[in-house]
Amino acid sequence: MFSVINRYMYDIYAKNVNLGVVAKQGFLIGFIVLLFVFSLFSDEFLQSRNVMTVISQAAIIGVIAIGVTFVIVGGNLDLSVGSMLSFGAVLVADLHDKIGAYPAIACMMMALLVIGSVNGFLVAYLKLNSLIVTLGMLSVIQGMTLIYTSGKNVDITAQDTSVFDFINKGTVFDIPVPIILFILLGLAMEILLKGTVFGRKLFATGGNPKAVLFSGINSAKVVFSTYLLSAFTTGCASILIASRVMGAQNTVGQGYELVVLAGVILGGASLLGGSGSIIKTILGVLVLKFLQNGLLLLGFQYYIQWVVTWVVIIFAVWLDIAVTRRKVLLD
Amino acid sequence: MQKKLAITGLAFSICFSTFSFAKDYVIGVTQNNVGVDSYQTTYDIALKDTMTKYPNVEGIVLDAGGNVARQIAQVQDLIQQEVDAIILWPTNGQALTPIVRKAKQMGIPVIITNSNISEKGQEFITAFSGPNTITQGQYAAELMCEGLNGKGQVVQITGQPGYQTAINRQKGFEDSLAADCPGVSIIDSQPGDWNREKSQRVMENFITRFGTKIDGVYAADDNMGIGALNAIKEADLKNIKIVGATNFAVGYDAIKEGSYYGSVVQSPVSDAIAALAITMKILNGDKVEKDNYFDTPKVTLANIDEFERPVF
Repeated sequence: MFSVINRYMYDIYAKNVNLGVVAKQGFLIGFIVLLFVFSLFSDEFLQSRNVMTVISQAAIIGVIAIGVTFVIVGGNLDLSVGSMLSFGAVLVADLHDKIGAYPAIACMMMALLVIGSVNGFLVAYLKLNSLIVTLGMLSVIQGMTLIYTSGKNVDITAQDTSVFDFINKGTVFDIPVPIILFILLGLAMEILLKGTVFGRKLFATGGNPKAVLFSGINSAKVVFSTYLLSAFTTGCASILIASRVMGAQNTVGQGYELVVLAGVILGGASLLGGSGSIIKTILGVLVLKFLQNGLLLLGFQYYIQWVVTWVVIIFAVWLDIAVTRRKVLLD
Repeated sequence: MQKKLAITGLAFSICFSTFSFAKDYVIGVTQNNVGVDSYQTTYDIALKDTMTKYPNVEGIVLDAGGNVARQIAQVQDLIQQEVDAIILWPTNGQALTPIVRKAKQMGIPVIITNSNISEKGQEFITAFSGPNTITQGQYAAELMCEGLNGKGQVVQITGQPGYQTAINRQKGFEDSLAADCPGVSIIDSQPGDWNREKSQRVMENFITRFGTKIDGVYAADDNMGIGALNAIKEADLKNIKIVGATNFAVGYDAIKEGSYYGSVVQSPVSDAIAALAITMKILNGDKVEKDNYFDTPKVTLANIDEFERPVF
């Protein structure tokens, strides 16, 4: 049966350009259908309150996913973002009470950028496998977080005058601040990816490393930068999560790396590198979150939500590979 | 060089053996995962502290780091060192059964602390010491019933799926509510994984779904309860009674402030002291019960001043 479907995808590409365009935008259409179906069954689903809540929740994962998209476009992985999120959140929450909000943010960002540059150095310059490096880094950072907190939760006590309070509860034109930060960061990063020389070098590095080798692009430098970007966006997410719960637990980011990865892949970035888009990554994360929210509103249990979520992700990956493979064969 | 090493080794072993001979009892402890959460860290400190108060006891305190294979090896080591008793905080109730059986065969009493070993392992242990997590769920149900005057709808945020404490607290809560407080019904439960941020998300979705229909929230620990409180505050909902279990410092403060109805005190210090006290009884040849639960009293604004603010 699957070979039939695969051939069908092939036919779409081979014979009908218009349908090909539809298949490319299929993801967006799927999203709209999803929203429509859920809104039929749940009155609350499309109410602005719920939509705002879901996007606020998605902001944390989404902001990390923005950075990780760069890494994946470059043909690598970053599995350390979940632990980095725990570490960043704990650090920023703890320092917040000791040295104040802005110095705390600066220190935390520095620390995460150091971690990111270690990742980047090992992958870009020593040419180690990114899966192994960042998986190892995941444990190292988790350990560092446990040592730093000696197992305790961190709470922000000086809440009222804090910039964190604004990030958490503030609104601009009735839109919650996390959503605004999410959108602004997304737009800036989309421009960086699609509109700059760095972005073009990155696509080349991820898409065809051999050609890049002969073209004189310093691909190591490009890959190194992607890890800095992913550390930076994870730092932003750490601020969001710490201000959201007004504190941090040393396991707060556990498992986030997979959800982030899922969002990026759902957004159509290929794990093989060379393709990806920030806007689509954001859409991917939103689809994940709206899917989970919709299932929850319909009263499905947690386990079912996860099964459905991952079935959708695997389906999306298969669709992506099926389409890409046919396209490559055609070319 | 080798000779030198051998002599140093010999000297060391003499030192250690005389050291342990100086005490009457050697107690070996292997803990689950010190440093991963505040509770276990505080337990570890309290345990070591309490040990120094027994002058005739020497303790070998180990930590399995959450790794069941390492914990089995640690118990093996303790058996080989012929300790007088083993206090075990199981990383996994199933996998440790064979090694506990071996300890029993070697005549070493094993005392399980905090969370119990599997059914099959029960015949090989001498005693269990820890909180009664079913009772904790019951207490939470009683608090909820009291807070809502016996009538209302509640949502439940449970702990990590599959973890025994989470299962028991949910069971105790649900059974007790059904039996003794028929006016209060549970309209939905979702897991919060002991994670505050996750619980906040779950609560936000509950609020979207049920809105003002929610009269109460039960969270399986205060850390998650505070997540729920954050969501409730943000949605500007009033009159929702929040009940937690395992009183954390944040929960304690919230109860005092009046924004949180109540919780169940479970002190890691009591936990450690109880485990050692049972072990000493066994070593002294006194009879002990198989299951020993230390007290986990209910706490609300009415009686909060009787309790110290938790350190975690």
